[in-house]
Amino acid sequence: MNHRSSNETPAVGRLSVARVKARRFGQCALVATGAIALLGSCATNAPQDTWQPKGPNAKMIDDLQQPVFAVAGIIGIIVSVAVAYVIWRYKDRGQPIPEQTHGKPALEITLTVIPALILAVVGVFTFRVIFDLARTDDTQLVINVTGQQWWWEYDYPVQNEWGITQPIISSGQLVMPAGTKVLLRETSRDVIHSYWIPALNGKRDAVPGRIHTLRLEADEPGIYAGQCTEFCGLSHANMRMEAVALSKEDFARWIANQQAAYQAPAEGTLAKEGEAVFLNQCVRCHQVDGLKRPDGTLAIAAPDENVWSGAAPNLTKLMTRNTFAGAMFDLLRDACRDDVWKADSAEFGVKYLAGVDEACLNVNDLRAWLRNAPEVKPMYANPALLTETNGKYRGMPNLGLSESDIDKLVAYLLTLK
Amino acid sequence: MFKVGSKLFLGLTGFAALTLVAYLIFVERLALGGVALSVVFAVLVGLSAVIIMINDGDSEVQPRDVSLVRASMWPLVTVVGFVLLILGLVVAQVYFIFGIVVVLAALTEWLVQAWSESASDDAAHNESARRRLLHPIEFPVIATLGLGVIIFAFSRIMLAISKSAGAVAFIVLSSLVLLVGAIVALRPALKSALVSGICVAGAVGIVVGGIAGQGAGLRTELAEAAAEGHFLHRECGEEKSKYFDKKAMKTISLRTNPVAIVELRGGVLSAIMTGFNEPQKIVSVPRGNPVTFIFRNFDDAERRMVASLGTAMAAGAETSTEKEGHSDSNETCTQLIPQGAEQALTVTYAKPSIAQEDPLTLTVPGVTGQAIEVVVP
Repeated sequence: MNHRSSNETPAVGRLSVARVKARRFGQCALVATGAIALLGSCATNAPQDTWQPKGPNAKMIDDLQQPVFAVAGIIGIIVSVAVAYVIWRYKDRGQPIPEQTHGKPALEITLTVIPALILAVVGVFTFRVIFDLARTDDTQLVINVTGQQWWWEYDYPVQNEWGITQPIISSGQLVMPAGTKVLLRETSRDVIHSYWIPALNGKRDAVPGRIHTLRLEADEPGIYAGQCTEFCGLSHANMRMEAVALSKEDFARWIANQQAAYQAPAEGTLAKEGEAVFLNQCVRCHQVDGLKRPDGTLAIAAPDENVWSGAAPNLTKLMTRNTFAGAMFDLLRDACRDDVWKADSAEFGVKYLAGVDEACLNVNDLRAWLRNAPEVKPMYANPALLTETNGKYRGMPNLGLSESDIDKLVAYLLTLK
Repeated sequence: MFKVGSKLFLGLTGFAALTLVAYLIFVERLALGGVALSVVFAVLVGLSAVIIMINDGDSEVQPRDVSLVRASMWPLVTVVGFVLLILGLVVAQVYFIFGIVVVLAALTEWLVQAWSESASDDAAHNESARRRLLHPIEFPVIATLGLGVIIFAFSRIMLAISKSAGAVAFIVLSSLVLLVGAIVALRPALKSALVSGICVAGAVGIVVGGIAGQGAGLRTELAEAAAEGHFLHRECGEEKSKYFDKKAMKTISLRTNPVAIVELRGGVLSAIMTGFNEPQKIVSVPRGNPVTFIFRNFDDAERRMVASLGTAMAAGAETSTEKEGHSDSNETCTQLIPQGAEQALTVTYAKPSIAQEDPLTLTVPGVTGQAIEVVVP
């Protein structure tokens, strides 16, 4: 007799083992995918969750999408179950092919009319929401928003009713009063970007040469995170934004502080030396309103000569913001940041308006940024390689600052409050 | 070794190679013509290789029935093409390229005709084979050329006659086309010769009109406007240009999403901006970014809007006015527009307002005490 040794497996057996393994792998992959989706939905730290509206505009969208999702889900389940039943019921078991018929007008008309009616109902409510979200006639505060690679600029036009008697310009964080209908007038300096604070409204593209509007309104004071949602180049993923809603009183304080005159650092301090470094290096692109050169003339930045988009963040009152580098980095250490983010509505304004002090400054990220910005945020910032842009940067270049200069600059920037 | 077809293609390949070399030496290197000739040469090399490989399709040269050979104009056209080609080497590239096109087209026709005439002993069959091969190429090419000539001739007519006469000409011509089309549709039994005759007569009429129009030249205002060069300059003071289309941008505001619509109404200048419920006197615009204003004139008189660009402009930057030959000016403007019209004006403010000695403004000459302040943060 021809005996196989015990470790020999018949070919058919090997095939079935492989099939079983493949099936198990498939099942594991399916379970893992489901688990990831399930666990993902359990995340508590999800500041860009579209299902948690924090203002009337986002609520309008939520009120529309909830029933639409429910109806679509029910229809999806019905269709899936029907397909599964048909697959199981009429599986090829060798039975004869049933009689073939063509056309059932009543059924076809029914299956056309019902979806049409459902879509018509959804369409009516959708159009209503679209038109409500496009309203501009009830605006209470206007803010101009300009996108560029890879940060957002906010400027507040003169609006005397809000105490804005001179334009305010900021970046990284959009500060607005809670319970107020704010209208963003969006545009872009280079490519198409898209502004999206999920908790406050849907998306709106910022397109060069065009002014697009987006309504925002926050019910309560707090910080609401967002993200550029139109691919805009190398650091698109790092082009973030935060909308900060303050009570009207706190917003008035913020306005007043933003319009306050520039305070030069005291003579003989490290910050004063930092001001000199700023004037030598940073003012080529970054404006600090009120900053004067040693000869007494105003220091006017020239980003139009150095940056492809023609602009760089205005750093006036930098330390009243909580972020820098297009909101990619926090100016606050984690503990201080959590203290602001997790503050209740009553305390939030006070904590936010306190700004950034030396104890809370995220000095590591700030120093790393000043040391070599392109190393910590991908940017096209090597002028030698930028022939297409005539040597103009996209983003901040490596300035080659010494550690001593960085010390001085950090001390100076801390005074910009 | 080589049969007739192979020899022909080898000869053509050699000719293409010589032409390419001559072009590269005498006309221009690395130009489009060189690329085109290289492609022609490469294609002929490929075709030669194929025809040699298949041994001319194993065809046998049959004694030809001379009566099947028709008279052909293609040798003559080919010679004309060669003349153009050689002339182009000396005079101008355009003749050279045209010569290549003529030579290639004539050779193609000649070759196919010669091939078809020896295809069989049946002249009708031979002609049918030629048509089957060439009509899919000939018809679109002839139609394109014919339409091109008609369109060009019609454009000459329209540029020669006055605007009013042009409108009439359009109406008459389109009515005639509609009428003929309707007749043909209603009477399908109409003789094709009659329809062809009408179409040919119409085409000839347009071509003759076009020749006459070309002879007459541009109508007066177009000729004067071209001499004036008004598209190349713009005055923000007294208007020096006589001819321009004042309503050219009448509906542009529907498409541009401007930063502000500046209206002159009842002697008052105001800016209408989305989001602001009341007309504004201050407009805030981002620095270093092109922004578009729409100027609407509701005044009785013709007006223009002037935007001051400030004393501090970007170093080395070209403003729109500098581009137009007014480097001494730090303002730009719309054209004079009549009551009810509107125009767009796109401006880039490279420097912030704090860098300017005087406020940046939008004003309308002749309207005193009215200005919109432009703030650039």
